[in-house]
Amino acid sequence: MVLKINNISKQFGGITALSNVSFSITEGEILGLIGPNGAGKTTMFNMITSVLAPTSGDISFYDEQISGLKSHQITTKGICRTFQNIRLFPEMTVIENVMTGSHCRTKSGVWKSVFRTKSQKQEEKEIYDKAKQLLETVNLLKERETLGKNLAYGQQRRLEIARALASEPKLLLLDEPAAGMNEQETVELHRLITKIRDMGITILLIEHDMPLVMKTCDRIVVLNFGKKIAEGEPKAIQSNPEVIKAYLGTEGDDDIA
Amino acid sequence: MFLEQLINGITTGSIYAIVALGYTLVFGVLGIINMAHGEIFMFGAFMGVVITSTLGLPLWLAFVAAAVITAILGYLLERLALRPLRNRPDSHLAPLISTIGVSIFLENLADKLFGSGNHPVQNSLSEASFTIGSVNIYVVQIVIFCISIALMIALSYWLLKTKGGKALRATAENLETASLLGVNTKRVIMVTVVLASVIGGIAGILVGMAFSSVNPQMGLSFGLKGLAIIILGGMGNVKGAMVGGMILGLSETLVVALGYSGYRDAIAFIMIIVILLLRPQGLFGTKTA
Amino acid sequence: MLGELINPYYLQVASFILINIILGLSIYVTLASGQLSLGSAGFMAVGAYTTALLTTNFEVPLLVGILAGVMLAGIFGIIVGIPSLRLRGVFLAIATLGFGEIVRVFIVNTESLTKGAIGISGIPQLGREILDKLEVIGFDPEILGLKANQFTFLIVFILLLIIVIVLVCFFSRQKNSRVGRAFSAINMDEQAAASMGINVTYYKVLSFTQGAMLAGLAGALYAHVLSYISPADFTYHKAVEILTFSVFGGSEVVGGAIFGATFLTLLPETLRAISEYRYMIYGILLVVMMAYRPQGVIDEQMMRWFKRRKGRRQQHGTENK
Repeated sequence: MVLKINNISKQFGGITALSNVSFSITEGEILGLIGPNGAGKTTMFNMITSVLAPTSGDISFYDEQISGLKSHQITTKGICRTFQNIRLFPEMTVIENVMTGSHCRTKSGVWKSVFRTKSQKQEEKEIYDKAKQLLETVNLLKERETLGKNLAYGQQRRLEIARALASEPKLLLLDEPAAGMNEQETVELHRLITKIRDMGITILLIEHDMPLVMKTCDRIVVLNFGKKIAEGEPKAIQSNPEVIKAYLGTEGDDDIA
Repeated sequence: MFLEQLINGITTGSIYAIVALGYTLVFGVLGIINMAHGEIFMFGAFMGVVITSTLGLPLWLAFVAAAVITAILGYLLERLALRPLRNRPDSHLAPLISTIGVSIFLENLADKLFGSGNHPVQNSLSEASFTIGSVNIYVVQIVIFCISIALMIALSYWLLKTKGGKALRATAENLETASLLGVNTKRVIMVTVVLASVIGGIAGILVGMAFSSVNPQMGLSFGLKGLAIIILGGMGNVKGAMVGGMILGLSETLVVALGYSGYRDAIAFIMIIVILLLRPQGLFGTKTA
Repeated sequence: MLGELINPYYLQVASFILINIILGLSIYVTLASGQLSLGSAGFMAVGAYTTALLTTNFEVPLLVGILAGVMLAGIFGIIVGIPSLRLRGVFLAIATLGFGEIVRVFIVNTESLTKGAIGISGIPQLGREILDKLEVIGFDPEILGLKANQFTFLIVFILLLIIVIVLVCFFSRQKNSRVGRAFSAINMDEQAAASMGINVTYYKVLSFTQGAMLAGLAGALYAHVLSYISPADFTYHKAVEILTFSVFGGSEVVGGAIFGATFLTLLPETLRAISEYRYMIYGILLVVMMAYRPQGVIDEQMMRWFKRRKGRRQQHGTENK
């Protein structure tokens, strides 16, 4: 079991964002987390990565309790995420962004950096090469010296994924990676996600683009108003009356395909 | 003796509270700390010296002159140091640094215009006092206290009951929404800065009356006290400013009475640090996520 | 020949420039992780008074005194830095400003120890001490054709220059490393930095403490160059002046502090008429910079452009060979 969400609830003031949600992810799986806007999906991500603390319940990663750790410790354990509203380091170049992602897998401190010791140089070279490789994976190698803020929207999303991969996660959390992408880019994103899975990384995906979710995910968890209303394979989810009701009930553009 | 000290503390505290009001207003609407507020206040204080001591004109004219000068300074501050920075997402530190620039400029300008060192403030009220029982009360103290309270009440009334005040509060709540609702936020911001400056200017005159002397460096020390108070009372909070001012005024008087007058000015800074560390939202603020 | 070239006044100005560069760097390194400190004058005072008191009262060697000053400033940096982590932006600035003022008020009020507002005079002078040491082993500045006072100014300048070069190398290298990337990641987006596995607390305290130690070092050197210090040297004005060095020169890059400190120290020296109005000019500079060029005169883009040009020229060079 990669990740086990156990009876998680979260309240903001008097508002319940999540109540008693449980699910788990197995090794090598792509799990979709869907639901109408405000269902609590991003809140769930924030709790997995310790940006928020759950009101009750706990989360374990490879059978180890991770609730209560600091955000950066979670990343070091092997969970990394992207953000719904892209959060790159805008004034860094593309390759620096990815190299920063390697932070928790490297060690050089102040003294090694200042004296440029052999191990530090070695390490810098390694993460530079690895960053180039990752940029190739997400098809951004040519842009490596561009500033993060000067990339096109779709490119920024892909850079965020490359940056997250640089932290060598065992579990990757993607928060609406297809948002703002055109059809062509979405097709490429699908390929990228499956490629990442083939690298041996388990994926938890929040996404509103239903064709993409149905095509990419092995299993899907559906949230509505902070409650889990369904869990299962894409086929079963598509025909689940609860799910259809939840989506039709909102006047969204999130029509389930 | 104790009562006299208490009255001293309350008088000082109510002036501090008015200085703090200026910070609170600007912070409430613009979300920035106006580091130049102390110096604008100092210019107001110097108007008291120029009008009453130098020119020998009546005290009420000093209030008018201070209000006019500080209104102009507030206008210039907004136009030149704050407006050009708005709508730029990059740095929340920019307005702070910019107003620090204005503060150091104004302080040294005052030094050139009025001369450095202490300038005595004299007016017809300075010496007037009366005695109740064994307690000696200066008329000035009563005047200061009454003006402070009147200002507080007027400001609260204006904020809560008038159209302008409501626009200001709407802008403070959310600038974008307010502008969508038809509030002229540009004007509201200008009014806020000018109003805060005028309140600072009036506080300046009161300080001149209370301490009988003003100098170009007073902007910094009083400014820091004002900051200490809003940090204590909570940002953007009129009631907090009043209570915070009283607490600071009384504790300073207490320290002086205990014989540590050298540390009087340190109280505000210690208060700033302790409060920021223990309760960053202030005594009356609510914690935000 | 050397004797005619060396003018103590110029060397004195140059030494102040170098000390001011160290101060500019102290702002640079704290801002690198997105923290604004207005306490630099306070940390400077800690460094200056520590070494001044140790060397004048207890005849501690200068080097030990200076190092003690740096360490104590660093310890204060940690003490102020750790709790200040809970404060964002403007509140940190105010807390550090409060710290600076507390240090000053404390110095003014502990007359028995610090001589209060009068200040400490007769602090061993750096150049003089070095000359004394050298004279013991039979060195005479006449060998270089220098008078004793010329030599002392020269040696101080050279020593400071070496210190500044070492520091500039230190911070340039740190910038282009894992540590530097962590600082700028935190500066740009704290939450994203944390989610990349960066220990935000550690790096913020590190950068704040480095800034405090730099200011402490500058203060200690200042004390031994001038041999007289008083609380008036470490006021809010000083803190704003130091801030201006960095903000005007450029707060994103190491070169910014160098340019800012050099330019703004030379300006009032060359144009005497300006000297009287320097703080007003600093004020205007801060406002204008924030409005038109908040990153300062020298910014990252400019440095990149230089690097690229240099790279291209080197390429040309090898091609021609």
